[in-house]
Amino acid sequence: MFYNIAVVGFGLAGRLAALELSKLHHVTVFEADDEQTPNSAGKVAAAMLAPLAESVLCEADLALMGLDSMKRWPEIVSGLEGDVFFQQQGTLVVAHQQDKGDLQSFTQRIKPIAGQSAQALNAQQIAQLEPELANRFNQGLFLPCEGQIDNQAFYKASFTMLNKRKVKCVFNQRVTIKNGEINNRPFDYIIDCRGLGAKSDKPLRGVRGEVARLYAPEVNLTRPVRLMHPRYPIYIAPKPNHEYVIGATEIESQDSGAATVRSTLELLSAAYTVHSGFAEARLLNIQTGLRPAFSDNRPEVSQVGNVISINGLYRHGYMLAPALVAQVVSRIE
Amino acid sequence: MQTKDCLTIYGEQVNSRLLIGSALYPSPDIMTQSIVASGAEIVTVSLRRQQSATAGDDFWQLIKNTGLKILPNTAGCHSVKEATTLAKMCREVFATDWIKLELIGDDYNLQPDPFALLEATKILINDGFKVLPYCTDDLVLCQRLNELGCEVLMPWGAPIGTGKGLLNSYNLKTIRERLPDTTLIVDAGLGLPSHACQALEMGYDAVLLNSAIAGAGCPITMSRAFKAAVEAGRFAYQAKAMPEKDVAAPSTPTMGMPFWHQQ
Repeated sequence: MFYNIAVVGFGLAGRLAALELSKLHHVTVFEADDEQTPNSAGKVAAAMLAPLAESVLCEADLALMGLDSMKRWPEIVSGLEGDVFFQQQGTLVVAHQQDKGDLQSFTQRIKPIAGQSAQALNAQQIAQLEPELANRFNQGLFLPCEGQIDNQAFYKASFTMLNKRKVKCVFNQRVTIKNGEINNRPFDYIIDCRGLGAKSDKPLRGVRGEVARLYAPEVNLTRPVRLMHPRYPIYIAPKPNHEYVIGATEIESQDSGAATVRSTLELLSAAYTVHSGFAEARLLNIQTGLRPAFSDNRPEVSQVGNVISINGLYRHGYMLAPALVAQVVSRIE
Repeated sequence: MQTKDCLTIYGEQVNSRLLIGSALYPSPDIMTQSIVASGAEIVTVSLRRQQSATAGDDFWQLIKNTGLKILPNTAGCHSVKEATTLAKMCREVFATDWIKLELIGDDYNLQPDPFALLEATKILINDGFKVLPYCTDDLVLCQRLNELGCEVLMPWGAPIGTGKGLLNSYNLKTIRERLPDTTLIVDAGLGLPSHACQALEMGYDAVLLNSAIAGAGCPITMSRAFKAAVEAGRFAYQAKAMPEKDVAAPSTPTMGMPFWHQQ
């Protein structure tokens, strides 16, 4: 069947839904903001694909869904034009000597999912994986199944591809979804990917995150590194051209205002303790995003009539969105 | 007639001797269910990182929905000025004059700064606050805080989040003995229900904890475990433990045993 489908919200879920559905159907995208989608959490994110590390925080079924998404990303990226950096070379988890308790407790709390497991590393093994971290850490963990994506490149390339497929994208238009129609215009299906934009309809809350993007020519890390710390647990995601994303704070707040000095100091100090080369890095930007979350911190795909909603991706957007969008596609087909 | 055994905090009486924190849970749902399971009637909240009550509104709403009495804290403050300013903000936002005064002296083990704590306590008490200071287990510090007008003191069991239990039970016992009329709450460092039980057994009026529940594999079940432990400890204190002895005394009398069986 060929359908006339509206995708509302042009964040990560909206883009993935539009990409998948426009292969077979007529798709129109509606976005409340402009082309730059400045309020999209997925644009600010570090875009880590970390089902094993995140299994410490989320239920096992979500981590499994993360493994499923992991398999889908290479195909999604290869369907786009231009270079969208995608990597699956594992994550390195490290802790300073005085924080080895935090590393131990993290290790204990990783859930065994689908035979994937973490490998304990000594100083030598850490140095083999990331030579620039030699002599800095005595203990670590390797999570081989994990990866990451360059989200900014993905945002650009997905828009380019949709343009190429002549998908109409209507920006700066906050629409109302009512009686299965958008502003009284009928569609066969409406895919509601509004995130926090759907707050008036759903019990969502925003969880504030602040993320720094650095240009660090003196740092050569080849894979994401997580630092276990009692107060400032951070991750460092290396993107192409010596760019590094340092994230992220997690604050129960709807405030999307500029990052605070305190958060900036925490993120950057912690990164500096991992690699002193960050001292001379250029601070490209420090952005704030609000992660849309339900009170159980679990995502939800729901359907009322011809309206299918994806929401509540919380801190797991890149890890869960492809699998959730696949659920939506299978409902339609 | 026996009067009800209540915990008294600045003249207010509550039934539960477990005070619970609202941070670090896997999700707000698990937080609220854990709080309910704990039977706690007082929940601590930190204003600082929520930045403003309006911005963190959804989170506050969840806490307000629990119906518990809110004890705001000054977590993360390092100076007298920061702590007193935050205390005043908390008073406005939560409409309570209670404040858990937390003033960090050492960033690494989050040890309270006893000197700044005294100074801030004095300022806040003069300003009409009912101060619940988070302090180390130093007798003289506790006495000074008490002299300033603190009716509740909250010495640590161990540094925050370590889960090590009561590291210096001698100190804690001494404070209990020397300040018999002050409400004493062990705050921080507990990891196991048995730690909470020990605190209550030695006559502490209550315990305050967060990580031990929020960081457990199943926070809701751990909440129940702490609830039971606190009750057990309180009963044990009221029942007065038997005296310890160095020599075994048989619980079954040996009278009537044949002579050749006795040595």
